[in-house]
Amino acid sequence: MSRKRALIADTFCLTKRRRCAADSETDGAADVRSSLQYLMTLFSRKLFNDSLPPVVLKHQLYSLHNDKTLVDKQVNELRENGELLMFQLGFDSEAFALVFAEDYRTKVLQGEAGRETLGTVEKFLAKLIPGCSDLSFNKEKMLNEFLFTDREITQLVKSGVFTVRDAGSWWLSIPNSGKFIKYFIKGRKAVLGMVKKSRYGEILRTELEERRTTSQVQFQMKYHVHDIMGAELVECIKTTSGTLLRYVD
Amino acid sequence: MLSFLYARQSGVDDPVRLRRAESTRRVLSLELNHNRDVDRIHGNGINTLDIEVIDGRYMLSGGSDGVIVIYDLENNSKKPQYTCKAICTVGRSSRHVHKFSVETVQWYPHDTGMFVSSSFDKTMKVWDTETLKPAEEFQFDGNVYCHHMSPVARKHSLVAVGTKDPKVQLCDLKSGSRIHILQGHRGEILSVRWSPRYDHILATASTDSRVRIWDVRRASGSLFTLDQHNGDKSKASSEAVNTAHNGRVNGLCFTADGLHLLTTGTDDRMRLWNSATGENTLVNYGKVVNESRKGLKFTVSRGCSPEFVFVPCGSAVAVYGLHSGELITMLRGHYNNVDCCEFHPDYQELYSGGKDCNILAWVPVLRQPDIEDDETNSKRGGTQAAINPAFEDAWSSDED
Repeated sequence: MSRKRALIADTFCLTKRRRCAADSETDGAADVRSSLQYLMTLFSRKLFNDSLPPVVLKHQLYSLHNDKTLVDKQVNELRENGELLMFQLGFDSEAFALVFAEDYRTKVLQGEAGRETLGTVEKFLAKLIPGCSDLSFNKEKMLNEFLFTDREITQLVKSGVFTVRDAGSWWLSIPNSGKFIKYFIKGRKAVLGMVKKSRYGEILRTELEERRTTSQVQFQMKYHVHDIMGAELVECIKTTSGTLLRYVD
Repeated sequence: MLSFLYARQSGVDDPVRLRRAESTRRVLSLELNHNRDVDRIHGNGINTLDIEVIDGRYMLSGGSDGVIVIYDLENNSKKPQYTCKAICTVGRSSRHVHKFSVETVQWYPHDTGMFVSSSFDKTMKVWDTETLKPAEEFQFDGNVYCHHMSPVARKHSLVAVGTKDPKVQLCDLKSGSRIHILQGHRGEILSVRWSPRYDHILATASTDSRVRIWDVRRASGSLFTLDQHNGDKSKASSEAVNTAHNGRVNGLCFTADGLHLLTTGTDDRMRLWNSATGENTLVNYGKVVNESRKGLKFTVSRGCSPEFVFVPCGSAVAVYGLHSGELITMLRGHYNNVDCCEFHPDYQELYSGGKDCNILAWVPVLRQPDIEDDETNSKRGGTQAAINPAFEDAWSSDED
């Protein structure tokens, strides 16, 4: 007799599933939004003097939910509805930043207040937020669809809403996000170093979250832990004392 | 299980349903079994395995030492403990053996009288199984990474060959000609695969990060290129537009019905595509560790619901749900990197070979029969055939 708990296919667990089916259905749908809101609370606003909206990375959601495909689908739905904006951050082709559209609009307009680029930025945001869910824009689209002039595009780049991608195309970006990316990369490296230097290269998640943040780590530990778990930079092993994070080469 | 049997018996359920449910249960319980072994012949890593489709009885393996071995997988002895014997080998002493590593072997899809092997010695040889001599040899200019013969083709006997050259070559076994060339890739071709649904559809994967689907009947170029962003040019950086992966694409596998195609790349991702439209289904498998510099050979289960993908990941074989993308389990047992795996659809067994020169057989766990009278069936009587002689208790004393 094998003492190991065997994997059982769904078809053989009919009776048990019928009882718990009711709870699991409703949980799935609203969950991504509530997870996003939870992760946004972990973002340290004070660090940037309130000039940045709360930013969350898409792979941080994978550390909270099992089914990655479902998370991707729901994030795309929220983007289609115009509630969420996605940005390509530039340091990793797979790392996408998510910001709630309303937060983005308020912060950008707050940053632009008093500058001459305010009008153009307002016009662009009005076009972007309900309709468009692209990550980058090229010249024909801006000139023909959105009816912007060259000078206005330059103003958008100056304001930080656009970052240069290629000759004639631009990434959508968060103004003043340079500092965020710098602290993020430094902090991620430092937290991974903490895991690596632990005994046997592994550490319990609860223990890591309680460690004191060094000067390299500016964000909350929980924010970084969700990041390294979701990006699979560490192996997550379930143990009886909680989740164990093991360094992966 | 009993409810399934009863439903089939009374006609409430389709017969296929019981078969699928039981196949799925068996695949989920795959593990190493000390009763099943494969003869260890290779002196160096094993690069490729192939099980013939007609009987599912004979398995070919090709190794880094250039040796090709044929095993008999069927258990004709009455005992449960069985080692899959190597029936014949093309060893280092043979005059016709490949000089360098054998990268791909494949049985002729219609009978076991012939098999084709391709190797880093820039040749592809068509062997006669009876005499173990090559009946035909094709020479190429660069290392041959992979080749594949269509499993469903009746009208043609083309072998698609992927080499260091960006041109995919089609060799005809009937006439020996190799004039048909598919142009379009810009890097080495790491993997080629015919569709199991149509005999004219071919998929090729290359180091230029692109996967192309070809119709070999057409004179012009490929039908389409797989695009990971599904045409959404805004997501990728400008160089990565229209690519299937953000790195080299080194593995291709069609699902059994030919409707979907799986690709793996060195960007540590695996993607599932709709093979008719080339659309990325966006199933997220997470990080599928892939450091292979040559092709990666992985496989999909057949006859189960949901289907499973078996991918070699480092020194383990990862099992993913095909459409859900979740990691079901990791099969650990090899001592070094796993290079290839092959699924036996009739018995739901998985054979995997790796750099540690072992071929491991992953067998579904059987429900053990209850042995009621332990005292009367003495071990000396020999009726306990279930115990492998290596595990027999020969040291403890009965007097304690």
